[in-house]
Amino acid sequence: MADRIIRHSDLMKLVDEVARKRRIIGPVARSVPECEPPVRYFYEDVERADQLDLSFRYCVYSPKRFLTPPSETLFAFDQDDGGFVAAPQYDRRPTALVGVHPCDIHAIRLYDRVFDLEHRDEHYFARRGATMIIGMDCPGPCTDGVFCKDMGANVAEAGFDAMLYPLGTDTDGDEMRYAVMFGTKAGREWLLYSRQSAAPNADDERAFEKYQADKEAAFSFALRTRREDLAELLGRSYDSLLWDATARRCYSCGSCNLSCPTCYCFDITDETDLASGSGRRWREWDGCHLPEFALVAGDHNFRPKAASRLRHRIYRKAVWIQERSGVVGCVGCARCDRACTAKINSVEIYNQLAEEA
Amino acid sequence: MMKPKIAIFSLTGCEGCSLAILELEDQLLDILQVVEIVNFREGMTERGWDIDIGFVDGAISTPEDKREVEELRKHSRVLVAIGACACLGGINTLKNHQPASEYRAYVYGDKAEWFPTMDAQPISAVVKVDYELPGCPMVKEEFLRFVKCMLTERPFRATANAVCVECKKKGVLCLYEKGIICLGPVTRGGCDAICPAYGSKCEGCRGVVSDEALAAAGVNLREQYDVPLDRVLADMRFHGAYQEKSLP
Repeated sequence: MADRIIRHSDLMKLVDEVARKRRIIGPVARSVPECEPPVRYFYEDVERADQLDLSFRYCVYSPKRFLTPPSETLFAFDQDDGGFVAAPQYDRRPTALVGVHPCDIHAIRLYDRVFDLEHRDEHYFARRGATMIIGMDCPGPCTDGVFCKDMGANVAEAGFDAMLYPLGTDTDGDEMRYAVMFGTKAGREWLLYSRQSAAPNADDERAFEKYQADKEAAFSFALRTRREDLAELLGRSYDSLLWDATARRCYSCGSCNLSCPTCYCFDITDETDLASGSGRRWREWDGCHLPEFALVAGDHNFRPKAASRLRHRIYRKAVWIQERSGVVGCVGCARCDRACTAKINSVEIYNQLAEEA
Repeated sequence: MMKPKIAIFSLTGCEGCSLAILELEDQLLDILQVVEIVNFREGMTERGWDIDIGFVDGAISTPEDKREVEELRKHSRVLVAIGACACLGGINTLKNHQPASEYRAYVYGDKAEWFPTMDAQPISAVVKVDYELPGCPMVKEEFLRFVKCMLTERPFRATANAVCVECKKKGVLCLYEKGIICLGPVTRGGCDAICPAYGSKCEGCRGVVSDEALAAAGVNLREQYDVPLDRVLADMRFHGAYQEKSLP
């Protein structure tokens, strides 16, 4: 049962209301004449709801940069009367992520977990605590090659403040109508106390049921192995010849890591200013495919070859992150596969390993 | 603390890398408070030869360049190659792929015998180089980071990552998605992906990132992309990143 029903134009008004108090980030269409179709979508800052295109299929990059930016200052330091002072920097700008697909919502739930393991990452949670998430469900696969259904990430039942389900266009017009589910009290208050949305009637409920059934039929499995069995499959595959055979194509460019919505590794650098005793500590995205990721003191590199790095990433995504955090480490969005200019494909890797085993 | 004495020299090149130092306008006064510049043709008239850190841009392209860089090495406690020409040979190496009689004729005309010349080389081919700050031009922010590391006696490391890392950090749409063969995956980053960010393919001006990446390029361009390899090799030769006639 849906919580509310809202028309597109009313949703836009509601988003504009949010924009008065929060920074709005959502899918924006960018014309790319060389591509087919000649448009690509990116999560970007917008001033007004009408700059968003909620009919987007997928965004090239996930919204992770708005929760854990490519680089950020952790603290600035200075010397004060001979003493050392360090001032942490937190970003608590009220923000709303609008139009987040279930896969990316799962990825954010993973971040919520891993950034809370052992040491709570206050820089992440400062942003996260100030961020409202308005999800956009996918009626079908957003593009070829995704395996979100395999990873259980094509539907999200939590991790959002409100989730929109595009039911299709109105019977009396050409306007999109959405069913809405509340995920949090904030999401509930946002919609329930506005006059823009309505309680679902019997027709709406039927439409929502049909939407769910159509969605179920639209997604198919891409992996030959069930998610629950990936640990066992990889357990048998550590010495497979596939790693070397595939990694001969790998540039170690790290594009798979950096475009992955669940990759969260970072590198930390201290930097001083030129003249005074001040400076800052900052972090930036890192990735386990990058050649110096596992380089330690004494110039020893634990994973000096692309093959060992490729294997490491696949194990992390399919098994190790889940073992450590309890949340599955891959959401099947296939951004890694699309980002790979060597066309190394994770679905092919899993399926070839299944064939070997 | 004594201010380190810095010198900046130019061999065969456009001196754009020396100019990049002068373009650090907002930091220049801070830099001058902590270092003493003793020799800088692009920026001053005095000449000093007691040098802690010598920066050199330009390639070895003439016998005179070779003599000069050997002399600079003797006077500099630390010698740093700056820019694609000094680090790789740069666009000067384009002549290495043409007969000397031809390029000497079209460059110097009937005065060719007045100008002795040789195959263009990076300065590391002639003298020991302690650090390299590559790029066409050198990245001035990287220069600044290098200076800070030297002043605080912290190790300086150039990134071992390809340009792709910086495209992803900036959220740039991969040029391969537009059907463009970009050298980003085989090129050492640190440039903030300035060319792809403005829609231009990477030309490899910071050099090949690793042998592993270069070998992958050979495999991928043959097996995954239907592209004329000669064009790709010509691109890789443009800044001297790669001199061979075929990909590994």
